[in-house]
Amino acid sequence: MIILLILSLLFFPEEKISIKDAWMRPASEKMTTALYFTIENKTGTADTLYKIVSGISERIEMHETYSEGDMSGMRKVEMIVIEGKSSFELKPGSHHVMIMKLKANISDRDTEEFILHFKQAGEIRITVKAKK
Amino acid sequence: MIIKILVSTILILSLSSCKKELPLDKDLTKKSYELINQDSVEAIFPSIINGSITVIGFIFTNCPDICPMTINNMYLVEKKLNDEGINDIKFAAISFDPERDTPEMLKKFAHTRELNFRNWILLTGEKPVINDLLKRFDVKAVKTDEYFDDNGEQSYSMMHTDRISLIDQNGILKKNYKGSTLNLDEIINDIKYLKD
Repeated sequence: MIILLILSLLFFPEEKISIKDAWMRPASEKMTTALYFTIENKTGTADTLYKIVSGISERIEMHETYSEGDMSGMRKVEMIVIEGKSSFELKPGSHHVMIMKLKANISDRDTEEFILHFKQAGEIRITVKAKK
Repeated sequence: MIIKILVSTILILSLSSCKKELPLDKDLTKKSYELINQDSVEAIFPSIINGSITVIGFIFTNCPDICPMTINNMYLVEKKLNDEGINDIKFAAISFDPERDTPEMLKKFAHTRELNFRNWILLTGEKPVINDLLKRFDVKAVKTDEYFDDNGEQSYSMMHTDRISLIDQNGILKKNYKGSTLNLDEIINDIKYLKD
């Protein structure tokens, strides 16, 4: 029994960070769109998302939407910190991944791959479906 | 007799106080604006929408977060109204980024979001005309985060008023709403009120 447990931990290590409910908006070539997901940090220590890479566009940044009075805008954020044993939601009207100057059209239900870079967990690859 | 008159007066007053009033009454027909639609056809605003209750959203197509929410809310309003058999409401999206939002870009944007051109029109125009029109609606939009990429092409984002407006059949601006967080039931009730 103990041997089985050790083997399962060796071959199926627990995910430190998991990405849930990832989706992106459809958009046309050369335009800008957004990617959203929830990051779950199952470890007891904080981790930091600091880079997102994909061949889908010329430039990818993390942004947050903010409001001043009845005006709304976006500003770049260099990183997103996910505290230990907590989750962080990138969602419409809040933090999002801004995908700028798309190299091709993204239609409803298209899928694209992204690599998320975390300081502790390293690279995490995700496949994201487009939806309206 | 006096009691009857008193009761009738109270009844009339209470009924009239129940009648819903929309907060704005701004006549947009006093000035015309030469715009251009997604098919590169000249569109004189507000003549282009006269005679129809119109929901107008202010957007720029390179906006990844707020403006798609605004357009999606307008799309959902249209869908809900259609489900109730109301098909005569017009929807217009006016770009406050005419430098990048050419008719071609507007058309691509509409196709991506499956907007039906039977009820929808997307509008852009010369920058001074757009700026003048934005002032009329009290909508502000300023460039932010400007930079030049490796190819020397300028990129920027925009800070802007988050706005959807409701215009009645006579070209009168009746109410403004926050576009990205629009309460669908509120605007649908207002549209039904204008139809009655």
